[in-house]
Amino acid sequence: MKHRRIPYAFYILCTVCLLLASTVAGATNYTLWINGRSSSGAPGNYSDFRYWGPAATAAGINKQAVNWDGRSSIASQSGRVRDALDCFCTGQNWCYIATYSAGDLLLGYTLANYGGSARTVTNASANANGVCAASGGVQTGWNLKWVRVAAGAAGGSELANAGAWTTSEPLVQDLKTSTARAMYNHNDTRNVWFYRYAGARGTAYSFLLPGQDDEVVAYHSSGGVAGNAGRSLCNPGDWLCDDLRLGTAPNQGGSVKWSWHSVVFRDDGERFDHYGDGNWAGIIGVMREAMVDTAN
Amino acid sequence: MKRWSIRPISLRQVWLALVVAAALVVGLFWHLDDPALPRAASPPPAGLHFLGPVPAMHATGEDRTARRRQLAEQVRLTGHTYCSYLQQSRYPHTSRPAAQHPDQLYPNQPVRESTPLRGDGGDSDPAVLVQTMQSRVYLAAGETVAFSLRAVDAHGAAVPLVVTRALAQGMAVQGARPAPHVTLAFSRDDGDDWRATFAPHGGALAGFHGTIRSEVRFAAAGRAGVVLFDVIYSPELPAMWSGAPREAIGPDALEFTLPLDVRLPGRYVVSGRIDDALGRPFALASFNERLGQGTQAVVLRVHGKLLHDAGPGPALPLVLRDVEGYLLRENADPDRLLLARREGPVLVSRTLSLAGVPDHAWQSEERSRYLAEYAKDRMAARERLAAFDPAATQPPAGCSEPGLVQ
Repeated sequence: MKHRRIPYAFYILCTVCLLLASTVAGATNYTLWINGRSSSGAPGNYSDFRYWGPAATAAGINKQAVNWDGRSSIASQSGRVRDALDCFCTGQNWCYIATYSAGDLLLGYTLANYGGSARTVTNASANANGVCAASGGVQTGWNLKWVRVAAGAAGGSELANAGAWTTSEPLVQDLKTSTARAMYNHNDTRNVWFYRYAGARGTAYSFLLPGQDDEVVAYHSSGGVAGNAGRSLCNPGDWLCDDLRLGTAPNQGGSVKWSWHSVVFRDDGERFDHYGDGNWAGIIGVMREAMVDTAN
Repeated sequence: MKRWSIRPISLRQVWLALVVAAALVVGLFWHLDDPALPRAASPPPAGLHFLGPVPAMHATGEDRTARRRQLAEQVRLTGHTYCSYLQQSRYPHTSRPAAQHPDQLYPNQPVRESTPLRGDGGDSDPAVLVQTMQSRVYLAAGETVAFSLRAVDAHGAAVPLVVTRALAQGMAVQGARPAPHVTLAFSRDDGDDWRATFAPHGGALAGFHGTIRSEVRFAAAGRAGVVLFDVIYSPELPAMWSGAPREAIGPDALEFTLPLDVRLPGRYVVSGRIDDALGRPFALASFNERLGQGTQAVVLRVHGKLLHDAGPGPALPLVLRDVEGYLLRENADPDRLLLARREGPVLVSRTLSLAGVPDHAWQSEERSRYLAEYAKDRMAARERLAAFDPAATQPPAGCSEPGLVQ
């Protein structure tokens, strides 16, 4: 039987190329974007940014859209986030995360319950379901640099309490303030910072949402305030309402934030509402600019 | 059938390979040496990703000021990330200072909320506030929950209220047949509150697993209103506490071991509160591990260094109290089956001195991995700023900045 011989130089060349490629691919930073309620992006398709806006818009290094259906329960959708974290945030790869509205609840739940679990290191190449193949090895938890949160709903929304949204939607049940706050330990982020952006251009539902709001989420949630919901927190200058303070400082009146949560943007000008309008708008736009500057 | 083979390596081929490899490496670094980037004083240690698409700036005017501000922000951010992690990861995630978990210290305190009176049609009366209380949100099999409500005006004065109808119904999954409902018996107490107790296990909802919504209709200030109380009920116990808790000094921590007879294997998430002898919250201990079927142990630890670092140290003996937990059902909805909660003191420690309790920082692969990456980022950010503006003021190289404690 005649053997075909591979030119040895070609073999060596391929090996070196693969080594270099693995070095490059093995030390990559990614920026994950986790949507909120009512998703339009295709789950598992990390390139589908239609929920947020034009995909060509800069939004942090190697951006990936972690799409989930935006209506099922947090528990049932956590697997989508875990798949993405396994894909892009294991091995030599590290992640910056931007999350929005109910995506805040979803990520917090995932880290608190699964943040210390054994994760399979993957090749960062996803199949159609958003799952990446194992590349060898297991590690504890994921590799996360930090998280930015726009209009975070980890503390729930009074709109869910009041039945303003359809009550048959499992996510709406999870967003009830008492449920969202009891669902997991919000202080347990695996020592990863959540930098929060709180919008205040709310009008339509201000009679339901205590203090300042972005029309969906009140400051007690977007500001990462611990304890029971219903606390009225506002911008400075409102004599009838305690101030939401920047950073990790306790708020006026003594309420405190969840650990590892810091308010980096408070909408003192009441310029930003909850809605991205499919064009990186509202409070999402403020967070996006920060991602561009710092997720690199 | 053709087979593919590789001949033994000759010296000439090894030389060829080395030349090719060297050419590739030189080529790679040539490519990375982008003249648009400010040259660093030394090669950034952060890896290739930090040599990514940094916008080229003209070194004059507003662009330069903006770029300097951006680089300074990156220095501050990476420094904060590194230093806070370094400081706070001295103790493991499962053994944390109580002050870092302010809303986890008294899990059996009722949930109190206040909302403007809401009518059936979604209209609202901000002049009347409805104050509600529910004793729990998550209910294990056999547990009960208490509800109450009252109405007040803008000055806090009571507004007469009458409950007209109260129904508890399981929230069925879409497409499933409707879950049964039960009537709740609200009655007025000696004050202005209307109260009811709900025991899912004692009625038509005994086997229901998931969210049970109690819709309470009332009249106050001449208006009809409604409030919703949600509880998440799990109708079976996945495991039973068994045997007496015990205590030992382990290699890193004071360990409280709670025997658990596991019926359903899986990931168990458990937490317990540690008070000092004066009843002051000292730590939150947690457990998140897979347990197999049969007799198992849930170990709640108080890290030794946490005890030694406290100044002044906690009054001993420590007391473990208020233990709660659940079996986490991955990718399922409802996602948990609750353990019977253990309210109040569970174990009083016999350790009356810190002598013999280990006093070293937590070490783990996870911690090392994070500190190495964060340090790398921090160094790279400082070098980028220094390269861009050698006169720029850098923050101290150590981790002495204030404001790092959560």
